[in-house]
Amino acid sequence: MLRELYDYRQMIVSLVQKDLRGRYKGSFLGFLWTFINPLFQLIIYTIVFSNIMRMGIDKFYMFLFVALVPWIYFSANLQNGATSIIDNKEMVSKIYFPRLVIPLAYNISCFVNMLFSFVVIFAVIIVTGFGVNIKALLFLPVIMIIEFLLATGISFITSALTVYVRDLKHILQIISMGWMYLTPVIYPPTMVPEKYRTLFNLNPMTPIVNAYRDILYYKQVPAMQTLIQATAFGVVLLVIGYFVFQKLQKGFVEEL
Amino acid sequence: MSKENAIEVTSLKKTFKVYPDKSNSVKEKVLFWKRNKYEKKEVLKGISFEIKKGEAIGLIGKNGCGKSTTLKLLNRIMYPTSGKIKVEGKVSSLIELGAGFHPDMTGLENIYINASIFGLTKKDIDAKLDDIISFSELGDAIYTPVRTYSSGMYMRLAFSVAINVEADVLLIDEILAVGDVNFQKKCFKKLNEIKYSGATIVIVSHSLDQIEEICDRCIWIKDGLLEMTGKPKEVHGAYLKSMEEDRRRLSEDMKNAENSDVYDRESFCGRPVVRSGTGDVMFTDVNITDKDGKENTLFKTHDTIKVTYDILNPKNVKEAVVYVRLYRDDNAHAFGTTSVIEKEGLMKLEGRNKVVLTFKDIHLLDGNYMVDVDLKDENEVAYDCIHDTIRFDVYNTEGRTGMCMIDTDIETC
Repeated sequence: MLRELYDYRQMIVSLVQKDLRGRYKGSFLGFLWTFINPLFQLIIYTIVFSNIMRMGIDKFYMFLFVALVPWIYFSANLQNGATSIIDNKEMVSKIYFPRLVIPLAYNISCFVNMLFSFVVIFAVIIVTGFGVNIKALLFLPVIMIIEFLLATGISFITSALTVYVRDLKHILQIISMGWMYLTPVIYPPTMVPEKYRTLFNLNPMTPIVNAYRDILYYKQVPAMQTLIQATAFGVVLLVIGYFVFQKLQKGFVEEL
Repeated sequence: MSKENAIEVTSLKKTFKVYPDKSNSVKEKVLFWKRNKYEKKEVLKGISFEIKKGEAIGLIGKNGCGKSTTLKLLNRIMYPTSGKIKVEGKVSSLIELGAGFHPDMTGLENIYINASIFGLTKKDIDAKLDDIISFSELGDAIYTPVRTYSSGMYMRLAFSVAINVEADVLLIDEILAVGDVNFQKKCFKKLNEIKYSGATIVIVSHSLDQIEEICDRCIWIKDGLLEMTGKPKEVHGAYLKSMEEDRRRLSEDMKNAENSDVYDRESFCGRPVVRSGTGDVMFTDVNITDKDGKENTLFKTHDTIKVTYDILNPKNVKEAVVYVRLYRDDNAHAFGTTSVIEKEGLMKLEGRNKVVLTFKDIHLLDGNYMVDVDLKDENEVAYDCIHDTIRFDVYNTEGRTGMCMIDTDIETC
């Protein structure tokens, strides 16, 4: 299977290109939207949580920004990746290719978008003189890859299920909103009451967001336990996602 | 799998679920779970065959017999309910062309996208790019967005990409109707080249001629089962015979059906025709002549045509209205009239045994035309109505085109 995916690498590249190029085609600000959307979310949350509901966190905008960008990637992939198979109905029902290519390509294009957003993060870090820890920074690609694996596993499941249950898309919007508040994106994990901690840590996005924040905000190497936990979640979901997808994909054409 | 085989299919079955009322949302699945009942429709009932490497195979059969399903299963677009399919080597399909074309991108960009869907790498595509572009005959149009293409250009581009994927197995579904005649010829030539280069080809087509031209062997699928396999000519002979029998059985059934209004009386027209009426007066024969009474079916514009029907009048019907209609063979209605219009009344039938239609100085241009004729009473109750009783051809030598002759004067002033 991996070999076949490798054979179809050009298809993945084409789809990613098409998606990135098609995403903002015909819009006035074009590619700038990649930056504007997270920037505005950042501004809104910063205003709310530094001035209205004061969190008392130093440089809250940085605290939020380094977690929000990875979260936006994850939730975009969660919500829109789900419809990726249906959106490519024409192709799926007419030509053979490994079906995994489609959610994978969509995921990669979201991932590339996140990378562009990281350019903005680093710009802010440099402009404000926030500073970085080079040693910690080495772990940034690692945590990105782990998040990518997790997102891939989840999008395999959601994209395949959506073919059978079309309104999963709407359900996922609600889930995505709830999930964000259950993940320490806008607040530090220490604010979670002790008795809910264990439950809270079962959220696969928790160790990932914590790791991003460790690296970029606290400027320290993330705890090994955090990384192991994140990797375990990522790999397990990827494997489950793969098998669910392969099982469900046999009926795609008849369901579409 | 045997070494010399490219495709092995063993007791292949495919069942579709047919939902009378399908629901795809959670709400409907929960609320109307009773609606999720489905009927099973078995399209393939256990087919086995082998195709050798380098063989070209035609799949034939009536609509809905399962031949396209077989092709989709071979292509792994769908999966069998049971049975095995083994295909060796890289598969390319000309089943649906132009999948993944993006209208806003240029032809060139779309070549890359489309070819990548067939599993080609950038390097492969670069190597074939010139072939693809020259085959498509698009020239500089390759640099303009696909949305500006005519449908012919679009199909040519799509076909060029698909046919230049160097596949070991090529699956084709009824697509050799791409572009103009010249392009079709080119496609055929290319297919033959592909065949001689050692690729295995499977074609689904209704055009038996196309299959005979390319294929070494033909597989006939009937009602989801393999009916016959062998040399195209032999299989086609048997297939056509069976189709003819089906047709005859169908018209028998119609005849036997009670109170049936449509039936096929002894077919004096030389082929089965659609016919209805009470039969109180009946047409029994037809012939077509020129104005001197010489039998003829080929006429020039401005000729006179005489069509004579013999009639049988067992109930001694006194009078009837005659309706006449002319159709060109593409079902364009060329002309229609009745005896009420032409003769201001009913035609006397008592003691007469012929109806003669004379078309004087016909203004029809080139084409194959058919004559419909009806006999009805004054209340339009039909005695006998026949569609397509006889055909004739018209030609003109002056080079005028269209369906009918219009006296035209062209002058400058």
